[in-house]
Amino acid sequence: MKRLDGIARSGLVFLLALVVLVVVAQVTGLGGDPEKIVGPRLAPPGPEWWLGTDSLGRSTLPRVLQGTGTSLLLSAVAVLATAVVATALGVLAGYQGGALNEIVMRVVDVLYSFPAIILAILVAALVNPGLDAAVASIVLVTIPLMTRVVRAAALTVSHRDYVTSAIISGARLPRVLGRHILPNVAGTVAVQGTYALSIGILVEGGLSFLGLGVQPPQASLGVLISEGTVYLTYAPWLLLGPGVVLVLAILSINVLGDGLRDQLDPRTSRSLT
Amino acid sequence: MRLFVWSATRLFSAALTLLGVSILIFGAMRLMPGGYATIVLGPLASPEQRAELTASFGLNDPILVQYAHWIQTAFGGDFGRSLVSNDPVAAELGSRLPVTLQLTLMSAIPGVLIGAALGILIAVRRGTRGRALGRIASALGVSLPEYVVGGIAVYLFSRYALGLTVGGYVPFGEDPATNLAAMVLPASVLAVFVVSATARTTRDAVLNVLHEPYITTAVSRGQSPWSIVRHHVLRNAAIPVLVVASTVTAYLLGGAVIVEYLFNLPGVGSYVVQAITRRDYAVVQAGVLLAAALFIFTNMVVDLLVGVIDPRLGVSK
Amino acid sequence: MTHLLDVRDLVVDYVLADRRVRALDGASLTMASGESVALVGESGSGKSTLGSAAGRLLPPSADLRSGDIAVLGESLAGLSNARIRQVRRERLGFVFQDPIGALDPTMRIGRQMRLAQGDRGSIRDQLERVRLNDPERVMRAFPHQLSGGMAQRVGIAMALSARPRLLVADEPTAALDSQVRQDVLDTVFALAAEAGTGILLLTHDLSAVSRRCSRMAVMYGGRVVEDGPTAEVLSSPLHPYTAALARSVPGNTARGERLESIPGRPPVLTSESAGCAFAARCAFAEDRCRNERPVPTRVDGRTVLCHRVAEGVS
Repeated sequence: MKRLDGIARSGLVFLLALVVLVVVAQVTGLGGDPEKIVGPRLAPPGPEWWLGTDSLGRSTLPRVLQGTGTSLLLSAVAVLATAVVATALGVLAGYQGGALNEIVMRVVDVLYSFPAIILAILVAALVNPGLDAAVASIVLVTIPLMTRVVRAAALTVSHRDYVTSAIISGARLPRVLGRHILPNVAGTVAVQGTYALSIGILVEGGLSFLGLGVQPPQASLGVLISEGTVYLTYAPWLLLGPGVVLVLAILSINVLGDGLRDQLDPRTSRSLT
Repeated sequence: MRLFVWSATRLFSAALTLLGVSILIFGAMRLMPGGYATIVLGPLASPEQRAELTASFGLNDPILVQYAHWIQTAFGGDFGRSLVSNDPVAAELGSRLPVTLQLTLMSAIPGVLIGAALGILIAVRRGTRGRALGRIASALGVSLPEYVVGGIAVYLFSRYALGLTVGGYVPFGEDPATNLAAMVLPASVLAVFVVSATARTTRDAVLNVLHEPYITTAVSRGQSPWSIVRHHVLRNAAIPVLVVASTVTAYLLGGAVIVEYLFNLPGVGSYVVQAITRRDYAVVQAGVLLAAALFIFTNMVVDLLVGVIDPRLGVSK
Repeated sequence: MTHLLDVRDLVVDYVLADRRVRALDGASLTMASGESVALVGESGSGKSTLGSAAGRLLPPSADLRSGDIAVLGESLAGLSNARIRQVRRERLGFVFQDPIGALDPTMRIGRQMRLAQGDRGSIRDQLERVRLNDPERVMRAFPHQLSGGMAQRVGIAMALSARPRLLVADEPTAALDSQVRQDVLDTVFALAAEAGTGILLLTHDLSAVSRRCSRMAVMYGGRVVEDGPTAEVLSSPLHPYTAALARSVPGNTARGERLESIPGRPPVLTSESAGCAFAARCAFAEDRCRNERPVPTRVDGRTVLCHRVAEGVS
């Protein structure tokens, strides 16, 4: 994190602020009780319910905060799992090469052949729709993407002189991987992890929107957007609240990822005049 | 010779991947809790029904025989019958495919063209403010999921009657004007991502090419910027931009599911979503296989085209 | 008389994300028409920046603070984009270090050359002139199918096709095998002599310089510290840095004598150097060297930037 540019830094700040807000709301009950019926049904935003009320008369604001928490946590858990699996697979495949590399890359190719939402649909068909289906989908969608990039990075690093000399001087495999390869692919994993997080939130949203992910009454951004779509013409704020939060969360994660990537590989190009 | 070797390896690789995909789908459907009979008949079926099904589907055969039978019928265009309507799945898919194809092509073709033009413009313009703006705009474009954009579009157009209809799909052959009016909105919703993803990739590709020493050489020879862009930048940057076509395809195949569902279009995507909620696994299986096959095919075509542009590919090491 | 190249007190900074680095700190160099000049210095001394500036080819991160570059009396800084392109096309030629990277990987050599030289003459002839054996085969080849030496010959043919007045060659043989090096340099110098093209050869290879360039200019810390006839500069260097450089060349020392390396590291300047940039590594430095910028002094037909040159310290 030496130097992120302004755009990337504002992405990071927004994301952290969102997490803090969600946690504070969870702990202190800020914004009110998400389950409590506080007013008329489908009421527009007002001083008592800042983001309006839903079809049962619940205030939308606490539900959006709760849903944001669910979406972020669920995606973060999934991405953590992906990072562990993809780093292990990518580093081993990239460093060892040979048959192991062939097998890993074939499996990755097969997983990669399913468009994200399609793979998620397949998973939701197998596991019953719910939280675990969403997490499993995100893991399966992001594993091929991250494994490919980590493998490429590990392959590059494993040809560097210091790795060769470590091997020649008799370093064992775990030491070579731990001391030389892993630290050098850590940056790549961080960048890909950031992108994976935004894919995770997108996939959760899509699955829950189709009714195949998180199930109501539990709130997630996807569930809230799906509910908002039903009452779109009467109560557009039901879509707008969670929609804006979702878009801003994904956007800030993406610009953060771009900033991290540019930092990892700073390139200047030449002018044509 | 080089292109022959390259094409052969890409074809082989695509075939292998398709094989893997079919094994995965087959395996997933067979390994589900409750077994295939439960999937097909539902948990409430009587033991007699189960026995009958097990026999008729050859479920007692060795697993390899079952797989061979399944793959043979699937590639012959027979995806079995829907468990809900008992209609052949293939016929239903065939009648819905044109809707999905029209939707994806209407967003992909203009989307890629506009995105590529924008990407080149952002990369070649060197003003820092314009660049920052371009960066945010392109990042925003890929951060706008179709279920949010689509919802907003539905709201705006259903409320303010801006000339385009929401829903009310009729086949193009029946009434072209009504068809287009119904399709423009969903296609535009999908195009938001296509344009931004293409613009982003094109921008990065062009910037990377501008960094190459042969561009410095061309500048040092006094070639004009336009000549450099036309002869060197576009050709070399076309490689990563072609590769984005595969990202776009993957997105469109998934995005079509959501947009068809949202706009009530009778395409393959909405068929598959309905099928899941009704536990109609024959349809899910066929839909997923079709999407993966389409994606693999696109990737193979992209790989072949990249091989045509880049003379370094397919050379044995 | 107008000079072929006239670089006067050039100051160039590179603006990086977090700091500025001064690449040229008041560099001056002139060349007469048809002259071959070697610009010698360690990497980081500023020679590549000077070479790029000669064609106004500095990257966007470069900030030209002051000074002037003129080619045949025409100052480059104020030229329109169209005019600078014309100058590059008609008067200047450039050859770079990475011969294969300098060619477009997706285009056959014949097409690239046609693009580079327009309708001027036969490409076959151009390739034969740079002593490529099988020009037909080279024209059909893609860059990755050529060896480094072949690719560099193609680069030279492209740079010289318009018979430029000045050829700037930036370490043209650094990426080549030593055997090929001599051949490629011979080709460049022979063709340039034939066309009356002046050569500015940027290099750190002193042995290549001594036989081919009539004049050499030594760069250190973004300035030209000594400039004069090659033989004299090498045999009786006036600047302590030149002296150290000359002693570090294998061919220049007597048998049994040790090759010397210069203690310390070359400086990375962030702004104008307070005194002589070499003072920190110089055995003869005194207070004035550290606090006062040396000015060019003419001694025996040479220009030297050293406070103590009159004392004949080196």
